[in-house]
Amino acid sequence: MAETVLSSGEKIFILHGIDADFRNDGRRRCEYRSMEIETKLMPQTHGSARLHIGNTDILVGIKVELDVPHADKPNEGKLEFFVDCSATATPAFEGKGGDDLATEISNVLTAAYQTRNAFDLKTLCILPHKKCWKIYVDVLILQCGGNLFDAVGIAVKAALNSTEIPKITAATLDGGEPDIELSDDSYDCIQLDTSNYPIIITLCKIGDNYIVDPTLEEEMCSTSSIVMSMLPNGKISSVVKLGYGSIQFNTFTKMLQMGEIIGLRLNKTLMDVLKEENQFGRQRRIFGFLK
Amino acid sequence: MPVDQRRINGPEVSVPYHIYSDFDEKSDKVKHDFSKRSDKRTNSEMRKIFLKIGIVSQAKGSAYIEMGNTKVVCSVFDPRELSNKNGYCTQGEIYCEFKFAPFSCQKRKIHQQNAEEKQYSLILQRTLEPAVCLHEFPNFQVDVYVMVLDNAGSSLAAAIMAASTALANAGVPMFGLVTASTIGIYGNHYLMDPTDTEEAICNTQPDKEDDFNHGIITLASLPQHNQISEVFLIGSIDTNTIKQATEMLTAANKDICPVLQQCLVKTIMKLHNEKK
Repeated sequence: MAETVLSSGEKIFILHGIDADFRNDGRRRCEYRSMEIETKLMPQTHGSARLHIGNTDILVGIKVELDVPHADKPNEGKLEFFVDCSATATPAFEGKGGDDLATEISNVLTAAYQTRNAFDLKTLCILPHKKCWKIYVDVLILQCGGNLFDAVGIAVKAALNSTEIPKITAATLDGGEPDIELSDDSYDCIQLDTSNYPIIITLCKIGDNYIVDPTLEEEMCSTSSIVMSMLPNGKISSVVKLGYGSIQFNTFTKMLQMGEIIGLRLNKTLMDVLKEENQFGRQRRIFGFLK
Repeated sequence: MPVDQRRINGPEVSVPYHIYSDFDEKSDKVKHDFSKRSDKRTNSEMRKIFLKIGIVSQAKGSAYIEMGNTKVVCSVFDPRELSNKNGYCTQGEIYCEFKFAPFSCQKRKIHQQNAEEKQYSLILQRTLEPAVCLHEFPNFQVDVYVMVLDNAGSSLAAAIMAASTALANAGVPMFGLVTASTIGIYGNHYLMDPTDTEEAICNTQPDKEDDFNHGIITLASLPQHNQISEVFLIGSIDTNTIKQATEMLTAANKDICPVLQQCLVKTIMKLHNEKK
C-alpha cells in the first residue's frame, strides 16, 4: 500500500476522532465520501466507467472477445479480472511493488463474481464446446487515496452495467467448424443482466470501532479489516480478512451485520444513479478527464 | 502469461479424461446423500488428524499433517536479513509460499504458482502474522514453504496448521498456535471438513434456485486468545448462516488445539529422554 508516514500523535488524534464518531473530514463512522461516476466514456471499449472518491481515481475498461470454452465447462463463457497498480498512482507501486495488491484485488473480484447467483457464465456461451464470449475487465488505478477495494468494486459493477455485447444473428456449425454472423447494425447490442452483481465493502477496524471508506491516513492506523462482497439479494459472496491483526469473534459478526446494511443501501443508490445516467441516452455529454 | 523456459511443460491443451466419464463425478452430484457421507462420518465430524514435526532435517522446523487423504508438508527456514531497499524495518516479516504438487489434484498443476496458489500464499501469510511476535526479529524474514502432496479437500486449513506447528518447531517466538478448519455449506447442510468432491458440490449452485445458500468457509483462529486470525469465504451465503457456521468452526478450532500442543510436547520429551 502507498506509504504515508504518520507520527504516533497524529494516529492518536485520528483514533480519538473515530471513538467520538467524528472523523477528520467531518464524516461519521458509517458514512462514505461523495463519489463521482461516469460510464461509457471510452470509445474503444465495450463498456467503461470512471470512479472518483476522495483522492482515489479508478478507470475500468471492458473488452469482449471470442474464445473457446474450457473443456470441463463447455456451456460457460469466461470472465477475467486484471488489475494494474501503475507507478503513476504512487511510487510504491514501481516495478513489482504493486503486484501483491493487484493480485489481492483481482482475487477478491474473482471470488465476488464466482457464484452463479451473481454472474451466470452460461449466458456468455454461443455454441457449446466451440465458441463463447470472454469478458476482459481491466482495472487501472490512476490515483490511490484509500479504500481501493470498494472503489474498484463499484467501478467494475458500473462498467459491466454499461457493457454492450454485439448481437449474434446466426451461429451454426458448418462441417464441424463454428460459423458466426453478427448483426449489421452496430447499435444492436445485448446488455448484461446486472440485477444481482456484487459490490465490495471494506470495514476497517481502528481501535475498538470499525469504519467504512477509510482515507489513506485512516488506513495507516488500522491493523485489520474485513473485505466482503454483498449481492443485492442479501447474500454474501466472499469474505476475507486483510492486515496483520486479529479480531474477536463478536466483533467479526458485528462487522458483518454492519456491512450487510451498508452494502444493500450502497447497491441500491448505485443502481439508481446508473439508471438516471442511462436516461440521458446517447446524446449525453461526456466529461472524461476534463473535469 | 510468463512461460517457464527451463522445464518442458508438456502440451498445454491436454485435459483430464474425467470430464468425459459420466459415471464418475457428475452422477455423484445428483444423488449425493447428505445424511450419509462417503467416509461414514456425520456432518459435524472432522476427519482424523495425524501430525508429525521435525521431518525435514535440513529445515529449522518442519511439520507433516494428514487429514484423511489430504497430505501436506511444511518447512520453515532460518531467518534471513531483508534486502535494504525500503530502509530498516522495525518488524520482522513472514514470507509464505503455498504450492500444490503437480500430481496432487485431479488436473495436473504446472510448476509455477497459479492464481489460486498465489492467493493461498497471501492468506497463509495473513493467518500467521497475528500469531508471530514480529517485533522479536526486526529487519529479518522467515520463510515458510508449504507443499500439498495430496489434495483431498480442506488443504488450506491443513496447510495453516502445518505451518503454525512448523513455526513452533523452528523456535520462532509466537503468541499462540493457529488452528484452522473448513466447512462446506449446501442449503441447510453444514459439512465439517469437506472432502474434494464435497467441496466441488458446495461450490456449485443448483439450477433454478436463487435463494440457496452454498459455499465454503475456512476460518483460522488463535484458540488460546479467542481471536480470529483469518476468514476466507467463497460462495453465496446469508449473514445468519455465516454466523452459525463460524461458531461451529471456532468450536472445532478449539478442539484441535490440544492435538498440536501434544505433538509438540511429545517431540520435545522424546529429544530430552534421548539426551539423558
